[in-house]
Amino acid sequence: MSEPIHRRDFLKYSLGAASLLALESRSNLVTRTFGKTATNKKVLILGFDGMDPHLTNVWMSEGKLPAFKRLIGQGGFRRLGTSIPPQSPVAWSNFIAGTNPGGHGIFDFIHRDPKNYWPVFSAALTEEAKKTIRVGNWVLPIKGGEVRNLRQGKAFWQILEEHDIPAAIFKMPANYPPVPSKQKTFSGLGTPDLLGNYNSFRYYTTEPKEIKEDIGGGSVHPVYVIGNRVDSKLPGPANTFKKDRPEAEIEFKVFLDPQNPVAKVAIQDQEFILKEKEWSGWKRVRFSLIPTQSVSGICMFYLKEVRPNFKLYVSSINIDPADPALPLSTPSAYAAELEKRFGPFFTKGLPADTSALDNDILDEGEFLEQDDFVLQESKVMLDDELGRFDSGLLFYYISSTDQRQHMFWRLLDEKHPAYDAGLAAKYGKVIENIYREADSILGRAMDKIDKDTIVIVMSDHGFNPFSRSFSLNTWLKENGYHVLTNPFKLETGNLFPDTDWSRTKAFGVGLNGLYINQRGREAEGIVGDGAEKENLVREIAKKLEEFVDPKTGQRVLLKAYVAKDVYSGPFVGEAPDIVLGFNRGYRISFGSPLGKMEKNVLEDNKGKWSGDHMGAAEILTGILVANRPILAEAPALYDLTATILDVFGVEKPRDLIGKTIF
Amino acid sequence: MWTFNAAFGRIFEIIFLPFRQASPWFGMILISLLTGLLMLFIFRHTSNQEGIRKAKNKIKAHLLELRLYKDNMRVSLKAYGHILLANLKYLSYSAKPMLVMIVPVLLILIQLNLWFGYRSLDVGQEAVLKIKLEEGKNPFQIEIAIEPPAGISVETPALRIEELREIDWRLRALDKGVHTITFRWENQSFPKQVAVEQHRLSKISAVKASSSFFDQLFNPGERPLLKKLGIQSVEVVYPAPGMNLFGWHIHWLIVFFALSIIFGFGLKGFFKVEI
Repeated sequence: MSEPIHRRDFLKYSLGAASLLALESRSNLVTRTFGKTATNKKVLILGFDGMDPHLTNVWMSEGKLPAFKRLIGQGGFRRLGTSIPPQSPVAWSNFIAGTNPGGHGIFDFIHRDPKNYWPVFSAALTEEAKKTIRVGNWVLPIKGGEVRNLRQGKAFWQILEEHDIPAAIFKMPANYPPVPSKQKTFSGLGTPDLLGNYNSFRYYTTEPKEIKEDIGGGSVHPVYVIGNRVDSKLPGPANTFKKDRPEAEIEFKVFLDPQNPVAKVAIQDQEFILKEKEWSGWKRVRFSLIPTQSVSGICMFYLKEVRPNFKLYVSSINIDPADPALPLSTPSAYAAELEKRFGPFFTKGLPADTSALDNDILDEGEFLEQDDFVLQESKVMLDDELGRFDSGLLFYYISSTDQRQHMFWRLLDEKHPAYDAGLAAKYGKVIENIYREADSILGRAMDKIDKDTIVIVMSDHGFNPFSRSFSLNTWLKENGYHVLTNPFKLETGNLFPDTDWSRTKAFGVGLNGLYINQRGREAEGIVGDGAEKENLVREIAKKLEEFVDPKTGQRVLLKAYVAKDVYSGPFVGEAPDIVLGFNRGYRISFGSPLGKMEKNVLEDNKGKWSGDHMGAAEILTGILVANRPILAEAPALYDLTATILDVFGVEKPRDLIGKTIF
Repeated sequence: MWTFNAAFGRIFEIIFLPFRQASPWFGMILISLLTGLLMLFIFRHTSNQEGIRKAKNKIKAHLLELRLYKDNMRVSLKAYGHILLANLKYLSYSAKPMLVMIVPVLLILIQLNLWFGYRSLDVGQEAVLKIKLEEGKNPFQIEIAIEPPAGISVETPALRIEELREIDWRLRALDKGVHTITFRWENQSFPKQVAVEQHRLSKISAVKASSSFFDQLFNPGERPLLKKLGIQSVEVVYPAPGMNLFGWHIHWLIVFFALSIIFGFGLKGFFKVEI
């Protein structure tokens, strides 16, 4: 079990309020790699999130991925068995812990709180200060307050550490906050921004009416140009040092030239000039909380338009790696060490702003420009890490393969409801290009390592189109398993506002999870444990697997996995009772995972988020390429964990379920 | 004024010459030592040393009186009164040297700001270049042409801000060196230096100011602008480096005053100066 990280200074973040309480101690001491002299073996693992075996094969056969072909020539290629469900936090946790979700306890991006049926993030928990004192309007923390990684089981680099094998783990998903280790690790997917959110862009415009009000992942701020000047505020984290937790904020001014498409942003002690359609690069901002405490963040400004309408985008405020307000790395000084070497860099778990593209704040080209910054940073840092890599294991993660497939699948697939021929002519090759970019990253890495280094390239899952959305809760309602106080009252909001729990047998929370409203487990459970529940689970699973989309004539789900059939380990009891395994082209709707009752069970997905991986694990395998012959016929993510330990001669702990692939 | 600035500035160039490529701490320690000595010299020669000695002795004596007669309210109160009076006397003796010291210390600080206040641009780094016009001038009525040298590129058109009487551009450093940008306006021209990748201890003139006395006094790094141009200043906004002490960035002014005072107090016995 991963131990909670105790901060020397008080800090925390909470889901809703993004509470942020304190600062991390500052240190510029250079960290050393743990266990430096223990081994002369070297393993390099490149993790390309969401890289799909089918697309890889297609473009490899067309000669577009020469480095992959070269690596396969030295070893082999396999489809890599993913997790159930094939969501990134679940899949990467399978790899980290060497178990299935029953062993590490992460079953979805979102779990439900059985006390109130509300969705909660599965990967990390922030606990409030246990003791505070009030001094006037100030609330000063005395004791407690921490952010905990909820993944259970030891991470493989912790096991390596016990055997003095050095490992550097860069941006591993599902490792926020990073589990305690003397190894160099930096947190990846799951790391929040400075506000404690997964995304919170700001968009300042004189034309807010063009933006829909219900915007996810950010906010729109109406502004006025008065005397060629715009005055506004950049909101920061909730100030938990003050009563009522007001939002910390920084005032800024933008001066516009009345004729030239150029503007100057003046914020705190810095000013910079942007031309229209230009990015600022990283800018550091500091939010004052109380006279002795402040938190530092980094963000990018993008001047989208000067006139006729002023439009300024500000990215999520990333935690400043030079002075992290929340835990980013082990040792804690490693983040600052990286910042010193490379300057500010993306620290948010999913750095590219898919929300801004999805909400038409950024267009396709602007989104790609931003994601190119992410990619460029990753390449520079990987090059540097490879230059230092002389022993043990180096894991390096790239997110752009996943993010671009999510957002551009619609332009790859002419049958997709959101396909646009004009955009496809311009951006139809974005996914192919990111695969080629992955190939070039691999090629550069292969050129830098010696012949004795074992190279493994992996992805956590594959990809498929997201053309039709399925509202699980609406389906449950229509099939009599979920009852509303007023059956005609739909679309009223998230968190099951109109559910009659006294008559509800099942509900959906999370992207793949279905829970039985079990008596004694859920707050108002009505289904008895044992045969009653068992029969109900089997009945619903059968019906789900038989459900056919009237529009396409296809089954919506290939599998409705019954948790106890597919999971093993000490945490099976915390799993959803049924895990949905969608057919190709289908995914859960956007509202159902958060407890919203939508009007229609099935709808076309016309959004830009058009590729996904919530399907049955059998159709969403990842890739596994290595420069050693792969003997395993059907390797899975947890087999890689066992393989790593085997390569370094470390005995596999009993709770790990995988087998070596070589 | 410019002749004085140039001559006075040359002294600092000579002082810092051996330390140009070293850590700025070496130059800072030396100049703080020299300033500490200067302050001691001024203090010794402009203050009433005998009076200060007597005032301090009186304070010590009455403090002793306070300890000895702490149970006697009347004596204690009287001692407090005497301490207060002696303190006032001490302050009056110190006032004159302090006033005398202000002038040289201010001149030193102005020069030190050129050496420690700014860091030259890195190659590839951007900076804002600002022209600030004099009162009553409107940036829209002025067409200033900017001619960058090969080592600098000007990346934006002019950004004119009427409320600040400002015209701004964004520069990018392309090559190391001290480059000169030329501005042209109505048959007039004037230069402005831009420093790129200079030694860690380098003289960097951020502001080229008008020829008014105070503007020249506080911005001695470059020859002043001609009055008839109607320009108050031309500024390159350089990064402020700070002094790095075990990872902490401290403003150079704090380091300078702390070290000067430490040196001053440390050496007062050696030079027999009563402070």
